[in-house]
Amino acid sequence: MGSPSPADQVSRRAQVLAGHLRGLQTSTEPSLSPSPCLQYSPPELASPPPDFNLSDMRKLMDGHNLQDRDWLFGLMIQSKLFNPRVAGGRVFVSPDYSQSMEQQREMTMKRIHYLLDCGVFQEWLTGRGPEVEMRKFALHEVIGMYDHSLAVKLGVHYFLWGGAIQFFGTKRHHDKWLRDTENYVIKGCFAMTELGHGSNVRGIETVTTYDSKTGEFVINSPCESAQKYWIGGAANHATHTIVFSQLNINGKSEGVHAFIAQIRDTDGNICPNVRVADCGHKIGLNGVDNGRIWFDNVRIPRENLLNSVADVSPDGQYLSAIKDPDQRFAAFLAPLTSGRVTIASSAVYSSKMSLAIAIRYSLTRRAFSLTPNQPEVLLLDYPSHQRRLLPLLAKTYAMSFAANYLKMIYVKRTPESNKTIHVVSSAFKAILTWHNMRTLQECREACGGQGLKTENRIGHMKGEYDVQSTFEGDNNVLMQQVSKALLAEYIAVQKRNRPFKGLGLEHLNKSCPDVPSQLTSSTLRSSQFQTDIFCLRERDLLIRFAAEISQLQAQGLSREYALLQSYQLAEDLGRAFSDRAILQTFLDAEAAVSSGPLKVNIGNFLL
Amino acid sequence: MKMCSKDFSTRLRANYNKSIEIYEGRLISKLLELFLAYEEDSNVKLVIMKGNGRAFCSGGDVAAVVHDINRGNWKIGAKFFWEEYILNYVMATYSKPQVSILNGIVMGGGAGASVHGRFRIATENSVFAMPETALGLFPDVGASYCLSRLPGFFGEYVGLTGARLDGAEMLACGLATHFVPSARLSSLEAALHKLDSSDPAIISAVIDEYSLQPYLKDKSTYHRLDTINRCFSRRTIEEILSALEREAVKSADDWISSTIQSLQKASPTSLKISLRSIREGRVQGVGQCLIREYRMVCHVVRGEVSKDFVEGCRAILLDKDKNPKWEPSRLDQLNDSMIDRYFSRVDDEEWEDLKFPARSSYTASALAKL
Repeated sequence: MGSPSPADQVSRRAQVLAGHLRGLQTSTEPSLSPSPCLQYSPPELASPPPDFNLSDMRKLMDGHNLQDRDWLFGLMIQSKLFNPRVAGGRVFVSPDYSQSMEQQREMTMKRIHYLLDCGVFQEWLTGRGPEVEMRKFALHEVIGMYDHSLAVKLGVHYFLWGGAIQFFGTKRHHDKWLRDTENYVIKGCFAMTELGHGSNVRGIETVTTYDSKTGEFVINSPCESAQKYWIGGAANHATHTIVFSQLNINGKSEGVHAFIAQIRDTDGNICPNVRVADCGHKIGLNGVDNGRIWFDNVRIPRENLLNSVADVSPDGQYLSAIKDPDQRFAAFLAPLTSGRVTIASSAVYSSKMSLAIAIRYSLTRRAFSLTPNQPEVLLLDYPSHQRRLLPLLAKTYAMSFAANYLKMIYVKRTPESNKTIHVVSSAFKAILTWHNMRTLQECREACGGQGLKTENRIGHMKGEYDVQSTFEGDNNVLMQQVSKALLAEYIAVQKRNRPFKGLGLEHLNKSCPDVPSQLTSSTLRSSQFQTDIFCLRERDLLIRFAAEISQLQAQGLSREYALLQSYQLAEDLGRAFSDRAILQTFLDAEAAVSSGPLKVNIGNFLL
Repeated sequence: MKMCSKDFSTRLRANYNKSIEIYEGRLISKLLELFLAYEEDSNVKLVIMKGNGRAFCSGGDVAAVVHDINRGNWKIGAKFFWEEYILNYVMATYSKPQVSILNGIVMGGGAGASVHGRFRIATENSVFAMPETALGLFPDVGASYCLSRLPGFFGEYVGLTGARLDGAEMLACGLATHFVPSARLSSLEAALHKLDSSDPAIISAVIDEYSLQPYLKDKSTYHRLDTINRCFSRRTIEEILSALEREAVKSADDWISSTIQSLQKASPTSLKISLRSIREGRVQGVGQCLIREYRMVCHVVRGEVSKDFVEGCRAILLDKDKNPKWEPSRLDQLNDSMIDRYFSRVDDEEWEDLKFPARSSYTASALAKL
């Protein structure tokens, strides 16, 4: 048999090409299509449907502004800017984290402008009242679920810069800055942290003096440790910043105050006497352009002092209604609580997402057969796997109610409740963000190799959310502050012989709860028993902590050194307080649900 | 219950060349029965749905539902919708491809009988619409699932205004999967009958051979996606109207003024519940959407918050004076708790949420919709 003639070869090639161009042959041959995995059974198929209504459960968990959330989800899903991809017939939206740092920063700004045009940020600063604030929280949470960088960048501009204008500024500042901030005419950032001082805000080294001849403040970074560091938005985009600085008037240091300074003009050029550098690539949140700022005797008008707590007259006199510098500082920083509220809440949503992914995976993934020739066992059918994930799920449910409670008390705040909010927000921020990191790690491990894909989110979220235990207050420092506040309350109660009021400590007014010596399973499951043991733990630690401090002081240690030594009890007390408070919010939420399958399921979590 | 018996007949062709023509009677129950039976029947490879005459189907027999409501029998009306939505669910999760030939009017319930299927074939005669807001109802039959997944906010536009789309527009936005000129339909059907396969890729290839790429008309609303997205992405009906009015100031355009008119003529209650339904549906699976729609439609037929459904059918379908007196008559007369009512459980001992029949298996494409 001879080889095909050139004419035959050409004709055969032409035929093959024509076949490609014509598309598939209409024959009964099956086309090449992927066969579904034999071992794969999706959870929707495997389990019976839940006996409670999903919408009702969602309403309970999200708590508020459901329609606003759905609207915002829709804005993101339907826009190409949010990187939609189709996988398995469904549309997924997620930023492309393989883009470079500069690209991610640019996309973040683009997304902000799109949402701005859609009207998402209306009333975020010009509106007032609990409803407006709850809506702001809801929308911010939804944004955080899409991308933490986007949420942080918006948080810096609206909650930190905008919040500072609102709460540290007075009417003239509101009139001048709030509307332009809301509409992104100017871009704000928040320069508090320095290279040398983060937790200890009162120790910052930037210095501001007053020039009465020109009616200007002069802001200066006297040394390298005074440079502002980690300032979100400063590296690329921000035009203005809140500057925290020591204020020296007539040779006397009046403590930390907040000023407004412009750092970029509208063309994006850095202002004279201001130096900006990039903090560089980070382990996560590369959609946020963190920067470093040095002030070389920058001059700002006198009006730029945010004067809600203290002021400087045109001729250079320092004026404040609050004489005590410690009180003045506390009044000053009180408004920053909203940051801790949003962080606590976004930590909960991060935990929810990672658990949803990990649990769904464990309802589809199989490993090892228990008996020969049987299908391999679903991961979640292993008690050991349940033990890893389900308690975290139950805690996340509890913390979800705690976060919603925190938002509620924050939007309904009064001057009297401010102290409670400060303590509770510090405690919840620390516990919820720590829980989130723990949950992310466990969920990553529970997903095995798949947990390492950025596309699968959980592993990547570890880098994105790690900072939550540091910014807006290092968690360890916050817990120390919580224990100090509890100690102060304890001592005040003893000294003034009055009952405990506030901070949920009222249980200390009653006698010590009884723990039955015979613990039956129904006792263990009763909410009364559970409340009792958490209260007992808090009571015991508070008493022991106070006793140890007092003993150390009696031995000659100063109060500060005594607190230093008793760090372990302080830490345990902080946790005991937080756990008891969180449990209480969970019990209250369960009690508020009318009976039915929803209540039964929530009740099961409490166990 | 009749399902638009005058201009719609269902011919379900199984692969064993038996055709069943159903003109009246309990059409939906029958369809459901047949669909479930064909799923189990290994001789059936695909299901073809087509209309007869001018229409594929112009909608469910809502006039009959209103008749029952007026006689105090809202539960009978509710039962009609229950069965219809179960059928929609079965179609959406069907394990065999459904090919719907939409050669004519496809509106309301007719859309529900086709959009959930795998293949929707438009022709130059297709006219699609979800006109429910003009009737005091809302786009149901799983429309909250389908419309919300159209590009941008085209779904809100279609669902709120009841706008009519031609075949080219249906293909452009994804409501149709193919466009085949009506002259080629009989050859296409013959080719499909010869197929002995349930493989969607093969079926698609067959339909491709008879398809062509139609051109959108110059004045097509689909050219206006930018404006539609800008306006219909707003948070509330009031804000959508303001956005449209702002556009009207910028350019004196017929389309904008007629869009505003459609919204102003629709029932205010319908507009608000439809918008919320589409927005919720965007983030839910088809099952959850139908469950929610069933709650909504029960509240509609019960007429507790508004009796616009009865009034709308009277004005448009029965007396045909086209002048419905909506109550509440203005958007600002509707508060949140009134709207919330439509989305909550019905306060009646015997009432229960929509429950779907157990499905023995799901294809990957069906699972993606859950």
